[in-house]
Amino acid sequence: MAVSVDEAVSTGPTRDHTPPARRLGGRGRSVLEVALLTVLAVVMLFPVLWMIETSIKENRDVYAIPAKFFDFKITLEHYKDVFVDPDGGRSALSVAFLNSVVVAGVSTVLATVLGVPAAWAYSRFAVKAKKDQLFFILSTRFMPPVVVVVPIFLMYRQVGLIDNKLGLILIYTAFNVPFTIWMMKGFVDEVPAEYEDAAMLDGYTRLQAFRLFTLPLLVPGIAATAVFALIFSWNEFVFATFLTSSDDVRTAPPAIAGLIGGTTTDWGLVAAASVVFALPVLVFAYLVRKHLIAGVTLGAVRR
Amino acid sequence: MAFISPAMLLLLAMSVFPLLWALYLSFTDYSATRGGPANFIGFGNYTAILTSAQVHTRALTTLIYVVGAVGLQTVLGFGIAYLISRRTHGRGVLTTLFLVPMMLSPVVVGLFWRFMLDAQFGVVNSMLGSVGLGQVEWLTRQRTALLSLIVVDTWQWTPFIMLIALAGLTAVPKYLYEAASIDRASEWFRFRTITLPLVWPLLLIAVMFRAIEAFRLFDLVYILTNGGPGVSTETLSFHIYKVAFLGFNTGTASAYGILMVLVVIVLTQFYLRYLNKLKEG
Amino acid sequence: MRHPKRIGRMSAPGRKVRLASAAMLLVATTMTACGEGKDDGEKASAPKAPATIPELTKDPLTLSFIWFDWPPAKALEAFANAEYKKERPNATIKVNTVPNANWHDAMFTQFAARKTDFDIAILDSQHIGEAVTNGNILDLTDFVKENIDVAAYNPYLLAAYGQFPQAETGKRDENASLYGLPLLGDTWTMIYRKDLIGDKPPQTWDQMIAAAEKCQADNPGVSGLAFHQANGSDAAAVTYNTVNGVYGGNLWDSKTRKIDGVINDAAGQEAMDVLVNKMKPLTAKGSGNWFIDEVNAAVAQGKACIAFNWIAASGGLLDPKQSTLGTSREQILDKLGFATLPSQKTNLVPLGGMGMHVSAYSATANQTEALNFMKWFERADIQKKWAAAGGVPSRTDALESPEFLNAGPFNQVYTDSVPRMRDMWNVPEYARLVDIENTNVNAALNGAKKPKDALDDIAKEQQGVLDSSSRKGGGGL
Repeated sequence: MAVSVDEAVSTGPTRDHTPPARRLGGRGRSVLEVALLTVLAVVMLFPVLWMIETSIKENRDVYAIPAKFFDFKITLEHYKDVFVDPDGGRSALSVAFLNSVVVAGVSTVLATVLGVPAAWAYSRFAVKAKKDQLFFILSTRFMPPVVVVVPIFLMYRQVGLIDNKLGLILIYTAFNVPFTIWMMKGFVDEVPAEYEDAAMLDGYTRLQAFRLFTLPLLVPGIAATAVFALIFSWNEFVFATFLTSSDDVRTAPPAIAGLIGGTTTDWGLVAAASVVFALPVLVFAYLVRKHLIAGVTLGAVRR
Repeated sequence: MAFISPAMLLLLAMSVFPLLWALYLSFTDYSATRGGPANFIGFGNYTAILTSAQVHTRALTTLIYVVGAVGLQTVLGFGIAYLISRRTHGRGVLTTLFLVPMMLSPVVVGLFWRFMLDAQFGVVNSMLGSVGLGQVEWLTRQRTALLSLIVVDTWQWTPFIMLIALAGLTAVPKYLYEAASIDRASEWFRFRTITLPLVWPLLLIAVMFRAIEAFRLFDLVYILTNGGPGVSTETLSFHIYKVAFLGFNTGTASAYGILMVLVVIVLTQFYLRYLNKLKEG
Repeated sequence: MRHPKRIGRMSAPGRKVRLASAAMLLVATTMTACGEGKDDGEKASAPKAPATIPELTKDPLTLSFIWFDWPPAKALEAFANAEYKKERPNATIKVNTVPNANWHDAMFTQFAARKTDFDIAILDSQHIGEAVTNGNILDLTDFVKENIDVAAYNPYLLAAYGQFPQAETGKRDENASLYGLPLLGDTWTMIYRKDLIGDKPPQTWDQMIAAAEKCQADNPGVSGLAFHQANGSDAAAVTYNTVNGVYGGNLWDSKTRKIDGVINDAAGQEAMDVLVNKMKPLTAKGSGNWFIDEVNAAVAQGKACIAFNWIAASGGLLDPKQSTLGTSREQILDKLGFATLPSQKTNLVPLGGMGMHVSAYSATANQTEALNFMKWFERADIQKKWAAAGGVPSRTDALESPEFLNAGPFNQVYTDSVPRMRDMWNVPEYARLVDIENTNVNAALNGAKKPKDALDDIAKEQQGVLDSSSRKGGGGL
């Protein structure tokens, strides 16, 4: 169990420099490469563009054969339907969005509050079998959600947490804590311990030293970590599906999935709901773009 | 440790305790709905699962899916990263654009591809039709359905590999290339002897993360094909879901899940050990 | 690691946290453990509802239902709040909805939790066995005797939505216990294009296939047939069961609990052959995952000559906003006809719809209210109002009333179909049985299995599920 992911990876310290100048082939090859990249970019982005386009089409154009790419009437009806019920009042979808905000927000705050001190401690102190503990923490994240959902379900039914926002918050926190610890440990490692030592010589307690000197330096890292935790909780589907059953608790992913499979499927609405749902994540992801690599690999890979 | 214990306790309560409970249930015939006592049946569930032809089918499907999807996205992701790394301008914009699919919820991705792959009015067949190709039944034929799953997963997760490969590529020290270019080494030689060895360990880590994720795939199947046609795109996770929630055979589902966790942990250990050896060697 | 000697300093605040967390964990664990023990001792059987309705509460009360998300759920909530409130001003009706794919899971996970956020579960007829065996819903036998005029119904409707065991034979057992009352009746209707195949609907299954074949050949771009083929819910299974019934087959022998050799007998084989080799080739390419909404879309887009769908899900077809067949209801009805299913060797049609069942875990006041609601709902005048509000009633007088017959073009189809209905097995193993049938029929329809192999696999696997009582682990695989 003593193998850590950290040991397996080491990268050079340099970054953001230009690769060597093209020597062979010259301009022809360069054009080819740009063309290839453009094609790939179009392929990768087309589904997203198509989603946005579908969300502003009228339903009869949505089903048109052959598909209409440009020549269609623009409507914002679907976006209205996302938030407003056909008979007035708030739509079930908008309630689900609100639930998602609460569940993702609170679980992220909790994971940060629990994870950051633990990461600090793992970084600064001698902890018995530290590597094993860290691997154990990481491995809790490897479990397939479908596997965990059964015992969680049994446990929750005893304490009345099924179909309860708190239940979702707890499980998301538990899934995000390992991630937060791994990510933040890396960030804490980068802050020299000497700052705290010096502060303690000045008569501060260890805790005060952490709060006053280390913590401010960690803020960008904490923000990045929190955003990733937020994205995980925001997008999560399996627990949300199996642990919720009422409109008041259901988060957005199962609510959006529920838009298909009735008597008619309004693809325009599905697209609009997806766009509204994806937007916050894209904004947040853009904000933390510098930390994306560490984020997607639980901090195992760092530049 | 006072700073660690709250986090540890949460993990113990929410991860370890459920897992231990699942471990206990995996040796019983317990059902969450039928009530009644949980009878101890030893390794009955385990032998039944390991010898079940139904499970073997799902294991094979999962294996094809993992190898296909992770292989495809590794090649593509590395390719895109390589191309981007050779650009001097617009690298940041390109990277950010390529990352969009990865940020989307599997639900959104699944629903939307289901819409685009629809044989009748989906945009993919519409485009194939306009270049003179016939309609393809993307989601309702055995081979194409699994292929569709692989394609959609590749679409979503190629950016992940790309991102990590890009980190490796941009970290290759410039002086190595300069030295090589003085030696008049061929480009392929430089790629093979300088770039690849430096990026390789990173790429392997990326592959490991993707393989673990792909191995437990559930949501995409649930939305895109619901396991069909027949059961031909049912993955192991999807099968567990059916065992656990259709018949509420909690004992069997628990054993099934424990086996999956074991496979992940054992394979990860071997893989990491191999990586460390690679690094030392 | 860097500062090992300073660890002791901060243990004071830490200890409290640790103790609190430990206590929390301990409490959680103990509670779980105790709860588990209680579960184990429980005998599974349905508790009895009182014969007469006890005194109703005067406090405000919300009566909650659970159903899946479709138009009748909204209709029920609106109707009940408008009409039931006149009798019981302090009661509010709430119909919680879940996606159709989660319907069974959502109800039974709550039942499993021994705590439900609904008072009345709207169970599919086949779910009754599972719910009764687990003791999840109230036994209404005495209540029905005292409060419901059973003679006012076609006996099979009472049996299908309430009786356990065994209701699929088409007859009611007067001595069997009742666990539910009809809420919404339903069956398949044949939807046909009057402008393409003529005003007169085909009468036999053979004629229907021939008409579809001709229509498809005459109208490029329009496929002959559209029906449910998906592998989720009960989609493909109901399709096969319908053809099986029409061709004189049986799903099982309920007395001997035999499936193998029954469903795959000669009649069953013929039905599978007709479905896969005669009907499937007339459907649109890629229709192998179609269910209710895709069939509706095909009809509304003018892409199908003949389609089969549940009546309760057909209302959207008359909405000009979603249709390319016309700009008004009348124009659409000029093109669309609704008819009872063609017959062949028998005239059986699938029973759909759902009943109301009282959760064993809701509060007494709510259970009392639920009983009162059900008694009210089954009154002759209310059944007619329900029909006028777009619902499908079950009392014979309501089914034959102008209020019902004039409310929709498919309502006559329902009334005519009532004596012809057949349901699936309502045994506790239903969810597994229907999944086996769904996936295998879906595989046959999409070329992943040969029709005969699929049918034999259904027979073998379903028999395995019924016989698995003495298993040694691995149940449910």
